[in-house]
Amino acid sequence: MASPPPPELMDELVGEILLRLPPVEPEHLFRAALVCKPWLRILCDPAFGRRYRAFHGAPPLLGLLPEIVVDQGDRGPRIFSNTSIPDFRLPGSDGCLMSPLDCRHGLVLIYIDYMLGDEGDNYLVWDPITGDKHGLPAPDSPLLIDSAAVLCAADYCDHLDCHGGPFRVVLMGTLDFEDNIVASVYSSETGVWSAPVAFDNAYEASVLPGRGALVGDAIYFTICWKGNAIKYEWGQNFLSMINLPSPATTLMAMDDGSLGSAYIEGSSLYILSRKVNSEGAAEWVQFKVIELETIIPGTSSDQKPFVVGFAVVGFAEGVGVIFIRTDVGLFTIELKSERVRKVNKPLDDSVLSYMSFYTPDRGRLLSLARTH
Amino acid sequence: MASAGSGDEKAAAAAMITLISSDNEKFEVTEATATLSQTIRHMIEDGCTDGGVPLPNVTSKILARVIEYCKKHATAAAGEEGSSSSFSDAAFLEVDRAFLEELEEFDDAFLEVDRATLFDLILAANYLDIKGLLNLTCQKVADSVKGKTPEQIREMYNIVNDLTPEEEAEIRRETQWAFE
Repeated sequence: MASPPPPELMDELVGEILLRLPPVEPEHLFRAALVCKPWLRILCDPAFGRRYRAFHGAPPLLGLLPEIVVDQGDRGPRIFSNTSIPDFRLPGSDGCLMSPLDCRHGLVLIYIDYMLGDEGDNYLVWDPITGDKHGLPAPDSPLLIDSAAVLCAADYCDHLDCHGGPFRVVLMGTLDFEDNIVASVYSSETGVWSAPVAFDNAYEASVLPGRGALVGDAIYFTICWKGNAIKYEWGQNFLSMINLPSPATTLMAMDDGSLGSAYIEGSSLYILSRKVNSEGAAEWVQFKVIELETIIPGTSSDQKPFVVGFAVVGFAEGVGVIFIRTDVGLFTIELKSERVRKVNKPLDDSVLSYMSFYTPDRGRLLSLARTH
Repeated sequence: MASAGSGDEKAAAAAMITLISSDNEKFEVTEATATLSQTIRHMIEDGCTDGGVPLPNVTSKILARVIEYCKKHATAAAGEEGSSSSFSDAAFLEVDRAFLEELEEFDDAFLEVDRATLFDLILAANYLDIKGLLNLTCQKVADSVKGKTPEQIREMYNIVNDLTPEEEAEIRRETQWAFE
C-alpha cells in the first residue's frame, strides 16, 4: 500500500526547494548538505548562494553582543548566538579589554584597550563568518572618540554578502582640549585615516555614545546639544546637523531607506521616520506607536505596584527588530508584527546586532563539494 | 495576429484551448486559465495552439490537478480585477482579504497529496512555467525537510546516500551544532 517513490528532480528543482529553507534557522541547510553529494554540490554552488541571499533579501539576525565593555569572565567575550549556531568567540585579546563598538554589513568593529606598557593596533575589524581580522592604528590626531561605525565600502554593493570586501571605519568625537565635533574615516583600501573634519557651529557639543544609523551616503549620530543629531557624508567629507523629534532618541535605518528615530515616553514606544521632500525640506513623520505595557509580559502597571522603566537599547536594521530593556529583562520586538521575545543572554547595556547569512559553502563541506 | 489591444484580450478571455496530456486525454480550458502557464501563453502568442496543445511531459492525472489550480487562481485574479472598480476602498479591501483567505484555504487543501504527486506537480509547474504553483509546491517540500535528519530526508524522498561514512562523520564533527 506504500505510495510510489517520488520521481527524481533535476538539480535546478532541488535548488528551488532548498532556496526556501529559512536563513534564520541555518541548521536546515547544513542537514540538507549531508543528504547526498548532488545536494551538497547544489548548496555549495556560488550561484545558489547568490540566489538564496537575493530570495530572502535581508540577512538574518545571527547574534547579539554588548556594546560597552565585555565581561571577561571565564566564558570570554562573544557574540551570543540567536540561532542554533554556537556563539562566535571574539578573537584572542591577550588580556586587554575588548569593547565592541559597532556591527554592520557582516563586520564587527572592536576597540582594544591595552594594559599600561602594551601597545598595538587600537581598533579591530573582525568578520566572524570568515574569521578575517584587520587591525587599525589610532588616528594621528588626538581624537577623543565617542562613537564609531564600520561599513562596507564596495561600490554598488547590495550588502547581502560583503565578506572580504573593502570597508570604512568612521570615528566621531572631539579633538583634545576643543569642543568641536570632528569626524575621521579609515579606508581599508588606502590603509590611512582621513584628516579630521570639524563641525564648527556646535560649541560645547559632543557625540553621545551609541550606535550610528547609516542612511544612503551618510551616517547619523546623536549629540548632546539641543536634542540634535550630527550627519556625516563621507562623499563630501562634510558634517551637518539635523533636529530630532526627542532628545533621548535611538537612531535607526528604516526599511524604506529613511532615517528613523525611536524613543519612549511613559510606556509608549514612538517610532518616527524622517521624510525629505523634493525641495530638500525634512520632517519627522510618525511611523508607529507601540504600547509596551500591553505587549511586554510582566510590565503592566495593573500587575506591578511600581512603575516599570523602559529603554530602547538597540536596533537590528533590515529585520525590523528593536531591543527594549525593562526592569523584568531584555526583550526584542518585531516592528511589523509587534511580536515580543525575551532575550535570555547576559547583555547588561546596549545591544549590537550581528546580521549575516550563514550557508554551508564553507570548510569541509565546500572542499568535499569541489572534489566530486 | 496577436496584439495587445484590450478588446482583443476580452475576446481571448472567452476563447477555449485544448490541452492534451501524455496519455492522450483532452482538457478544454479557457484561455485565462491556460495562460497562467507562461509556456502555453507563449504558444498562444505564437499562434500554435490550433488542434490542441500536446503536453508530452504531463500525465492526465497531474494535468487535471494543474488545471484545477489554474482555474481557481485565474478566477481569483479576475474577481479581484472586477471588484476594484465596483467597490469602495474599504469594501475592496474586505473582498480582497476574503479572496486571499479563500485562496489560501484552497492552496492548503490542494497540497494534501502524496510525495510522488507533489514531485510530479513540481515537474509540471516547472515545465509549464507556472510560477505560483512552483512556489507553492517547492515551499511545501522545503517545509517538510525542516527539522528532519539527513537520513529521514533520504528516506522520505527516496534519495541514495553517496557520501562515504568517513566523509559523513567528518562533516558531522565540523558542524555538530546542526545535528543536535
